[in-house]
Amino acid sequence: MYILHIASIPFLLVSFFFFLAATVGLLRFPDFFCRLHATGKGDTLAVLLSLIGLSIYEGFSLTSLKIIFIAVFMFLAQPTSTHAISRAAMRCGLEPWVKNKEEIK
Amino acid sequence: MTRVTDDIIIRTVARVFMPFIQIYALYVIMHGHHSPGGGFQGGVILGASFILYLITHGVEDAKKRMSELKAGLLSSFGLLIYSGIGLLCLILGSNYLDYGGLSTLLNVIPAQARSLGILGIEIGVGIAVMAVMFSVFFDISTGGILPEDEEDLGVNK
Amino acid sequence: MGLFALVFLCLYRAVFGPGVLNRIAAISAIGTKTLVILLLMGFIYNRVEMFVDISMVYALLNFIGTITAAKYLEMKGEL
Repeated sequence: MYILHIASIPFLLVSFFFFLAATVGLLRFPDFFCRLHATGKGDTLAVLLSLIGLSIYEGFSLTSLKIIFIAVFMFLAQPTSTHAISRAAMRCGLEPWVKNKEEIK
Repeated sequence: MTRVTDDIIIRTVARVFMPFIQIYALYVIMHGHHSPGGGFQGGVILGASFILYLITHGVEDAKKRMSELKAGLLSSFGLLIYSGIGLLCLILGSNYLDYGGLSTLLNVIPAQARSLGILGIEIGVGIAVMAVMFSVFFDISTGGILPEDEEDLGVNK
Repeated sequence: MGLFALVFLCLYRAVFGPGVLNRIAAISAIGTKTLVILLLMGFIYNRVEMFVDISMVYALLNFIGTITAAKYLEMKGEL
């Protein structure tokens, strides 16, 4: 079954790259809404890919089905929580950051 | 938390997820001796599903599903199952909570009776924990003042 | 091992973020990374059936906690 072990490595590597990109975005973006973009999308994709990679590693058994359930749950739930946070930010009156203030007026 | 979330996305997603969370909680209760879980953990997850409903749908709708009266009755019911099994073992001639005594009632060998007795205890504990968690969260979120009494007492929202 | 370093980087934003909203987003991100770390630890120790159940419970708790914190802020009306 070494073919399954080899086939799951690219998934894990790509997911690690996406995690790295999301975290760098979280640290360096200038505004709150930009950071929300980075962590909402990047984290979700990275978790999805890594869970698919881990379920391929196991082969076709009950454990891999449970891991796919977790992946589906994460796919539906994490964008919802990002949406909830951004809604709360809009209610609090936080304004998005624009580069040139003359373009709005 | 008396204001309803007027956002349709969060409400729909929470409503879609609730049955699956409850099925998973039952799975955790049943597999107490094979994998991590058991009565208390499954009860917490079951209570968390009701708390999710309370957060996203407001106090009025949650009261229609499970009122305070039902929560109180369910917690006592869970405790009744727990001590009822214990007293049943006492009546049938063994010590308190010694499930070997159940083997005469159910016509099984004592080892299997022990396994079934533990399963029954876990179910009772799970129901009691769920009811207590929901009742505590309900009391904290409304402060003991129900929405229909707010105009009488003169409490500003 | 690289994921541990990423968790610490995220923790920096959680501690220093100006305002409470940044901290909520950072905690959600930390929770997601913790989930993947738990599963990988399960694979290393060859007892993966246990860790799958635990990580599913943690995913649920992360979701519920983030929604609760966001709703509390929305009700309060200000930062």
